Amino acid sequence: MRTALKYFAFAAAALALLANRPAEAQQPIKIGVLLPLTGPFAKNGIENWEAMQIARDMINEQGGVNGRKIEFVHGDATSPTAAISEAERIITREGIKVTTGSFASPLAIATSQASERHGVFHWEATGAAEIITRRGFKHTFQVGAASYRYSQAAVDFTNDVLAQKLGKPAANLRIALLWENRAFGKSVGDGVRDYMKTKGLTLVYDEGYDQFATDMTPIVQKLKDVKPDVLIAISFPNDAILFQRKAKELDFNVAAFIGVSAGYSSPDLRDSIGTMVNGIFVSDFPPRVNQNVLKPEVRKVADEFYKRYETKMKRPPAGHASAGFSAIWALFTEVFPKAKSFEPAELREIALKLDLPPGSLVNGSGIKFTNNDWPQDPKDAGQNLRASIGIWQWQKDGNNQVFPQTLATHEPVTVPLPGWDKR
Amino acid sequence: MTTVGQLVFSGILIGSIYALMSVGLTLVFGVLRVVNFAHGEFLMLAMYGAWAITRFLGLNPYIAIVAVVPAMFLFGMLVHRLMISPALDKPHLVVVFATMGLSILMQNVALMLMSADLFDVPPLLGGRSWTFGPLYAKPELVIGFLVAVACTVALQWMIKSTYLGKAIRATVQDGEAAQLMGIPVPRIFLITFAGGSALVGLAACIMTPLFSVFPTVGLNFVLIAFVVVVLGGMGSIEGALLGGICIGVVQSLSSYYIAPAYGQMFFFILFLLVMIFRPTGLLGQKGTANIGIND
Repeated sequence: MRTALKYFAFAAAALALLANRPAEAQQPIKIGVLLPLTGPFAKNGIENWEAMQIARDMINEQGGVNGRKIEFVHGDATSPTAAISEAERIITREGIKVTTGSFASPLAIATSQASERHGVFHWEATGAAEIITRRGFKHTFQVGAASYRYSQAAVDFTNDVLAQKLGKPAANLRIALLWENRAFGKSVGDGVRDYMKTKGLTLVYDEGYDQFATDMTPIVQKLKDVKPDVLIAISFPNDAILFQRKAKELDFNVAAFIGVSAGYSSPDLRDSIGTMVNGIFVSDFPPRVNQNVLKPEVRKVADEFYKRYETKMKRPPAGHASAGFSAIWALFTEVFPKAKSFEPAELREIALKLDLPPGSLVNGSGIKFTNNDWPQDPKDAGQNLRASIGIWQWQKDGNNQVFPQTLATHEPVTVPLPGWDKR
Repeated sequence: MTTVGQLVFSGILIGSIYALMSVGLTLVFGVLRVVNFAHGEFLMLAMYGAWAITRFLGLNPYIAIVAVVPAMFLFGMLVHRLMISPALDKPHLVVVFATMGLSILMQNVALMLMSADLFDVPPLLGGRSWTFGPLYAKPELVIGFLVAVACTVALQWMIKSTYLGKAIRATVQDGEAAQLMGIPVPRIFLITFAGGSALVGLAACIMTPLFSVFPTVGLNFVLIAFVVVVLGGMGSIEGALLGGICIGVVQSLSSYYIAPAYGQMFFFILFLLVMIFRPTGLLGQKGTANIGIND
């Protein structure tokens, strides 16, 4: 009797195991998404969250990854401190092994630190600070362009396009650089200065300012006296608006204006300063690139993404939202299908082996990560050297990509910029 | 020459805006001695009000004054009743922490309700400037300057010549004696605090066409407001106007000739120098630190 029971127990256990197997295969893949949905970064965080949800829905409608659905666990990363505690919460409580996010660099720095500490794989979609990949972390991958690339895009555009449009040799251009003096503005400003030297260009004006400044008169007046042809400005929204209004008030005109990221790329800028935005160039992640650069199968994905995003949000995605979609789509279609255990070490191996040419992702990016083997900085690991970056312009019919040629959908217009009364 | 002229001219105009925004604080901090750290958040709240009236009713932000100023008066009364009045007979620090808490609360409520987006009202004349010879100025700034001067004159007259003004001064100089003379001291406190809040409402309507509104907009201004009040001389209303203009001009010139990043540093240096050599402030009188107001 006893042995019979034993056999019965064995059989039951075996059956249970067998029955469990297909169930296990159906279990969803859980990903921790750390984005600010409240607080000062909420606006952009929500846009990014929508873009990522579209990616999740699209992959799940196709049957998921090898039959397993994707499931998001959200952590509200409103500030660096919140990013750390939220990341730890979802890692320890929910057993998350893969995290992504985080819109802003300070949040990305914090989230990746928490993930690394717990040995979790972090796939950073939009955080741009260079330090993200320079801390010797093993499992952090920065899929979007690093911040020095913003500087290079602005300088290359000035050198390759604006000089010719303005009918001057690039070396004779009067270039001015204005930067807000906190982490992002300063590092992009340093990047512009250094890169200009290698291109043989010179600055006629180079000043930092406090982003909480309440009066832009001294800055605009000095620029007016210096008379630059091209102005490269790194600003946040509030100071960008104050600057543009003051420029109009004091009738300061410049032949070409390049804004870098946050202050000038926010889709709300047109609501704030109206037609004054027209003609401004922006160095940023591309919101939408030339279809010809994309692989045919990526084009279909892109069309679907833009259609869904515009239906949902009633406006085309900003550059960071397209970057968010692109990064997470690559995770679903290039990394996960090759994974068996989904352990961070395995995902890391897969990521490091990726070798996707430009045009493989919706926003024109490819993927090739550094792994302490990049001649320019041998300490760098996990930076995507093929992330797309470029210049788009505020034009009457939208935000259109104008540089580099491969990604451009439109020609740059209104160079030189007309006077304030004609904009 | 034009450059210096423009810098001084713009400095005077923006300085008068600083003064206007500080007048309410002169009343509350300079006269009543209530350290209201939520002054900047009062400004933020009133700016949202002016913005909403302009945005949703399609009215000019200056017309919003008729609604925002009384609303801020009521808001001031409410805050005084609930927070300031119970804390008045407690140590000074209680008011400091209470208003600081209020400031954080108001910022976060604004963040929840309005998000961190910037809101703007369309500029007058499509953002074009008036020209004065070779100098440029936005009409909004010129209007702000005129309102600041008018407000200073009116308030000065009120404090010096009306019964209410005399009652306020008496209350601050010696509350007990004032009470014995039949002055309703608690009500005077209430009216003065609410009046300071109403003046913030006025400043907000003038500032909304010049600055974007967002939850932390008050932080950009509150420090300047405290400096203006102390620099001009505690309780001195014309001193606040002079203090504001000094800060505007110093900031403008030092940012141009030295570096824009140090504009704030230089007005604090000016502030320190005035405090060392004229501790009562530019137009303050000796002893006002104790009695609260110029006679």
